[in-house]
Amino acid sequence: MATITHEEAHVHAHGPELQHQFETPEQQKEAATLGMWAFLVTEIMLFGGIFMAYIVYRWAFPEAWEESAALLNTPLATVNTVVLLVSSLTVALAVNAAEEGNKRRLLTMLALTMLLGLTFLVIKGYEYSEKFAHCAGAKDPISWITGSDLHESHECLVPGRGFLFPEEHGATGGSHGAAHTASMQSGHQLFFLLYFCATGLHAIHMIIGLGVMSAITIMALRDRFSPTYFTPVEIGGLYWHLIDIIWVFLFPLFYLV
Amino acid sequence: MAEQQHTNAHHHGDRHTHISRGTYYRVFVALMVLMVLTVAAWWVEKNLLHIPGWLAVTIAMSIAIAKTVLIVLYFMHVKISSRMTQVYAAGAFVWLIILFVITMGDYVARGWPPQPGPLP
Repeated sequence: MATITHEEAHVHAHGPELQHQFETPEQQKEAATLGMWAFLVTEIMLFGGIFMAYIVYRWAFPEAWEESAALLNTPLATVNTVVLLVSSLTVALAVNAAEEGNKRRLLTMLALTMLLGLTFLVIKGYEYSEKFAHCAGAKDPISWITGSDLHESHECLVPGRGFLFPEEHGATGGSHGAAHTASMQSGHQLFFLLYFCATGLHAIHMIIGLGVMSAITIMALRDRFSPTYFTPVEIGGLYWHLIDIIWVFLFPLFYLV
Repeated sequence: MAEQQHTNAHHHGDRHTHISRGTYYRVFVALMVLMVLTVAAWWVEKNLLHIPGWLAVTIAMSIAIAKTVLIVLYFMHVKISSRMTQVYAAGAFVWLIILFVITMGDYVARGWPPQPGPLP
């Protein structure tokens, strides 16, 4: 009985956020941070598999890599890199605002972060739709949607049966016959397969990150955080920074070959 | 082990280190400079002078690793985290290096001097 009374007193001294299995708020925060890092390690290994495949196939097809990367939209990807780096800053500032108990600044920073995350996804979506529009024979996504100016597709960079690497960019130009072209294109197709897998998985993480940020915003609106308790902001921020780090590697590996 | 962990956590609580907003802004400026550098290096390689592929990859990856170190240490607070968290963060990259080094060790050693290309 005495222990229960002691524990109850303890809970009241620290507020309702301290779970009964922890002795101090510091211990609870430490456990949450460590647990998040253990999860982030598995995330790094998940992307590590894709990076491993990338290294193996770049080693196998160095020329195909250089020719293929030239067809990606580097200016848009550079804008996206800036967007993500700024969003990492706003997340860091959000954690700082939560630490200082400044609710107004915390909400502003969270809103900015989500806006930047959405901007990233819109730009990424435009890049993808450009590639799909080319397969449909349209010049750009707009003319693909309106259905105007459609012609025979001479470039299709989406892996699959319709994959067609434009002749003028290939070093092995002038070769005819479907079977020959197909084998010559395997390196190029692998590049775009890895491109869609890696950036697609990254985009899925971005969508989850937006969900996490929305949940934290709702918690902040409900006054769940205080200068002594802001663990969700902190570990949600860790997830967002991880997404940024993955992009820091995807950007030079795919766009700056 | 558990005891040591406890001491660390306790120590961390006492220390209560804190990264100031000024540091965040400075780290952000450094990240932007590195971003411009990596794009500039790529542009120079494509348009001005031809440098070997391995050197271009080394430059791009060194810049990416520098950016990662800045983000992990400052934005992700690993610099002021407990030892245990630091070990976890470093551990991820150690495992990645094991994955890459052992696999590529095989590919590189299939022909000597190393010859890029699909395995026979």
